[in-house]
Amino acid sequence: MLLADFGTSYCKIVETDSGEAPRIVATRELDRHFMADLATGHNAARRSIRSINELTALARGGRQLVDRADFLLLDCGSRDIKYVRFRNGEVADMGWNAECGASMGFTIELLAAYYHLDYAAIAAPATGFSVTCGVLGMSHIFDAVVSGASETEAVAKFVRGIALNAHRFCQEPDELYLSGGLCANPLFVASLPCVVHPLGRFVLLEGLRASLPTT
Amino acid sequence: MARRIGIVGVPPLVVIEAINRAGDLIVDLDEPQLRAPIDQTAAHIPRVYCAILRTVVLNCLHLRLDEVVIDVGPGKCDGALHVAEVVADLLPIPVIRTRNQDSRPFGHPLCTSPLPLVEKFRRITKGVQSAAPYGPMTVCPPTCGFWGVPPRDFSLLALFPDTTHVFGWTRCMENKTPADLDLERQVDPDLPTVFFSQSFCAKAALAKHLAAKHPRAIAVDCDVAASNSTRAKIEAFLELSGIEPGGGTS
Repeated sequence: MLLADFGTSYCKIVETDSGEAPRIVATRELDRHFMADLATGHNAARRSIRSINELTALARGGRQLVDRADFLLLDCGSRDIKYVRFRNGEVADMGWNAECGASMGFTIELLAAYYHLDYAAIAAPATGFSVTCGVLGMSHIFDAVVSGASETEAVAKFVRGIALNAHRFCQEPDELYLSGGLCANPLFVASLPCVVHPLGRFVLLEGLRASLPTT
Repeated sequence: MARRIGIVGVPPLVVIEAINRAGDLIVDLDEPQLRAPIDQTAAHIPRVYCAILRTVVLNCLHLRLDEVVIDVGPGKCDGALHVAEVVADLLPIPVIRTRNQDSRPFGHPLCTSPLPLVEKFRRITKGVQSAAPYGPMTVCPPTCGFWGVPPRDFSLLALFPDTTHVFGWTRCMENKTPADLDLERQVDPDLPTVFFSQSFCAKAALAKHLAAKHPRAIAVDCDVAASNSTRAKIEAFLELSGIEPGGGTS
């Protein structure tokens, strides 16, 4: 069974019968005829036989991976952020910010490439910019650089601002489980003002696995 | 000859009775009555504003009306109070402001009926145009709740199962007591509930507050049309609550 999480920038794909680990393919490099059996994410309805909602996949994946009755799971994607809060093992609250969380992960990746930065080598700053969204936040970077801050310092403050935004969006928990590509960004993880448990990029794939009919 | 009376909100029963007695035709200006770009209203009302009230202005720009009755009291909103000024300056016809504080309850059989949610809302909003009492209806055991005002985009309602009970201001509408805050804030804590508000509506504060207190709820808002993310949130919430969206319980 071919499962796929079609992200805006990257697709996560796994063949359940192969026993192989999931693979990541840049969305723009994915074969245009690729079809999954079960999928989630942008274009899932068009590129799969059956598709499920991203929040549903996230919640089901969280249930598989987190052995707790009460927790909050935040997924930071390329284009949007979403969260699911479990209470007593049930979904109690959720949110999906597809508009104002616009291009968050995408912008962070873009900035690293543009300024040649390694996020693993940058310490989380004490303060961050007040960032409404990725695109609007970039003007803060340009202003800071013009005012004499280093590019690294300015981008770090931008990333911290984005992290604070995401934390605020999911109701400011003391502890959260993090899903998505930003789990691999140490600066972003360190900038979240709470205890963070990174779960990696395949939480939604786990949710798809959990949605397969049991035979 | 029958006159065409535009109404906004829920005018007092005595006003509706008078219109019915005169044999005049009621046009609900809160609902889209024509196909035209809503941005045509931008010269008269801010773009970042309640889509229902923008729709009122859009209707007023295009429809031939003889009179407009706008409820501007606690049963509607301050937005209507202010938009009444816009409409009064826009149209060369009488614009009557009312403050509906009716307290005689008519009941809310449609809110708890087994009808599809879209049909419940169609009948409830249509019911504003009549002063007649309701006939008896079957009460269905609920599987989820919808709290809020009638959305500008009714397609949102198709996501819900027929076993959805209606709460909030829509229930007050059916009850013909639109200013009844006690009824408006009634919810069922045992029912997974979607708290809906129009974007830029003052009721969003109440929706968010009640959703935060409710054990299984989400608050969503929607502007002119329901976005994919709003639909997805509702679908996921229903699905994860064990309810098949737009169908029966799973």
